[in-house]
Amino acid sequence: MAQTFTELVIGGVLLAPFVTYLVVTLVVIIVLRPLLHVVGFAKMFSHASIAELSLGVTILGLLMLLF
Amino acid sequence: MIATIAEQPFTVAKIPVSSWGFAIRVWLATILALFVSFWLQLESPTTAALTIAVLAEPTRGQALEKAGFRLLATLVGVTASIAITGLFSQTRDLILVAFAVWLGICVFAAKLFDGYRAYAAVLSGYTVALIATQQIDHPQHVFESGMARGAAIAVGILSIAVVNTLVFAPDRQPRLGAQLAALHRRVRDYASATLRGEPDSTTTFLTLLREIVALRPEIASVALESSSGSVRSAAARSAAVALVTELQAARTNRDPGSEASGWPARELRRRDDEVRQNLLALRSARWPLRVWRAPLYRSFGTAAESGVRAAAWFAIASTFYIWAGWPAASVSLSFLALIAGLGATTPNPRGFTVLGLVGTPIAAVLAGILEFIILDGADAFPVLAIGLAPFTVGAALLITSKNLLWSSLGRVNLSFITMIFAPSNPQTYNPQAFLFTSLFVIVAATLLLAAQTLIPPVSDDKRRMRLLAEARSELHQWVHPNGEAPEEATFRDASRINQFLGVGGAQDSRALAEMVSCFDQSAMLRLCDTKLMQLTDGPLASLVDEARAAIVKRDTAALRAIAPRFCEQAPQKDSIEADVAACLFMTSNILDGGSEVGFPGEAT
Repeated sequence: MAQTFTELVIGGVLLAPFVTYLVVTLVVIIVLRPLLHVVGFAKMFSHASIAELSLGVTILGLLMLLF
Repeated sequence: MIATIAEQPFTVAKIPVSSWGFAIRVWLATILALFVSFWLQLESPTTAALTIAVLAEPTRGQALEKAGFRLLATLVGVTASIAITGLFSQTRDLILVAFAVWLGICVFAAKLFDGYRAYAAVLSGYTVALIATQQIDHPQHVFESGMARGAAIAVGILSIAVVNTLVFAPDRQPRLGAQLAALHRRVRDYASATLRGEPDSTTTFLTLLREIVALRPEIASVALESSSGSVRSAAARSAAVALVTELQAARTNRDPGSEASGWPARELRRRDDEVRQNLLALRSARWPLRVWRAPLYRSFGTAAESGVRAAAWFAIASTFYIWAGWPAASVSLSFLALIAGLGATTPNPRGFTVLGLVGTPIAAVLAGILEFIILDGADAFPVLAIGLAPFTVGAALLITSKNLLWSSLGRVNLSFITMIFAPSNPQTYNPQAFLFTSLFVIVAATLLLAAQTLIPPVSDDKRRMRLLAEARSELHQWVHPNGEAPEEATFRDASRINQFLGVGGAQDSRALAEMVSCFDQSAMLRLCDTKLMQLTDGPLASLVDEARAAIVKRDTAALRAIAPRFCEQAPQKDSIEADVAACLFMTSNILDGGSEVGFPGEAT
């Protein structure tokens, strides 16, 4: 069965579900950042920026899959 | 003299590989942004490509920080557009007045900030021009236009973020660490020179001060580079603040009165140690022992004056366009707001307009060559990508030039070629539209230059005198610190000297000497107050009150008389009481020195 996406409505304006997912991903990453620093995430990888981008994409994908 | 062995960068066609890397990243991001915008069928793919041109910054952190501010400012600008259009929808003249006032407010805000914050402030201003002014005849489209712009900007930001990450755009942090470490070495050299009693080298002091303060906006951009970025940014910021205080301590060390006690040398060592700790924290991504803010000096008077002038330029131009009654004049007016706004973030707004006037015809010719000679009716995306390459890469290479003129021309060209060419799907290849857009941009720059000649921007002399008057009045009114840490306040004063030098302060030696003297006196008064605070609750409270009263009255004779009384109470040479005595003695010397330098009555 196809997953249904709920649209975000602000003052009668419909926003694409993808925008909601993007914003939530951004919030999750902002919340995760201090934690990542504590566990030394940046030191685990040779190219930390790619690892962080991949983490972002993973969170976005998971959000879309689960919610 | 310091001998340095600089590593020669690997070059291709006499251009460093890093510059090629940057230019190719910009081109790839432009292609990606255009491709995604075409695929999503966005209304304004040009805005997505323009976003890349705007976010073409050499490091990842800088691009991300600017992107964040661009998104935020667009949100503010779109909201303001809707509000202004809603309030004055039936009165076109009032709507233009409202735009002028809004632009003035945004320029005022921009003058209170630096770096990308200032850019965000002016972007909020000219977003209104781009959205609401262009839709002045169709107010019902303001919301759609705002949404289209927001979506295109989001696509642009995502494109450059992805390209910068995958193509390994360099991080700012390693170079920042090296720069701060080099500055630390130079501050130590300066301190040793003053200790050896070499003649006063104010030029070295000012050069170091300028270089440290100039790092401020770049330190902020480190925060977004990685998950440890905010920690590193805090460490770098604290290191910069500590460097300024160390520099100030080194300067005080040359005071003849400082030889009486070992305190100034101890103070210098303590500051030096602080810088070292902060640099270590930056390298190892740890929180510094003390996190300091790096406040910026804000001259509200100059900002307000600049804001009023920007509003006046816009009002003059609007009046001209209404009088001329040209069709599509709103497009030209929005370009004018864009050039006026961006000019406000530069030290010389009129110079920026002249640059725009020189750069626009070049950009128009290049866009014409791209549209009508190279592409000439092509409708395949790969052809567009290849056709754009020489123009985007060329302009981006110019941006990396060390020559400020070439670099600025590169930036103007990168944006204006995209704007005049206006890539869309399908591309219209309309010579009339091309000619109109080119003409409107050139007319906008010409008209703005005329308005700026009629009402010139705030002159450097005036800004300099105002900064000096503000420094002087702040010093005279100084009684007790306003809750700000002394180190942070010293950094703010240093940023004022930086602004003073930025408006040609180096040429005005008398004013510069007074400015530096104000800096010394304020820093010393703050230090003295902090030292006295340590004894406030002790048995010497009454003596402390006396010293404070003498400081408020700037009674140097009384301070000199009080200092030995603290000394008498000191159990040993390096006790707090002895330090306070040395501090009071030096304060009286610096205050005396300051009154010799000051020229009361001037620059009011």
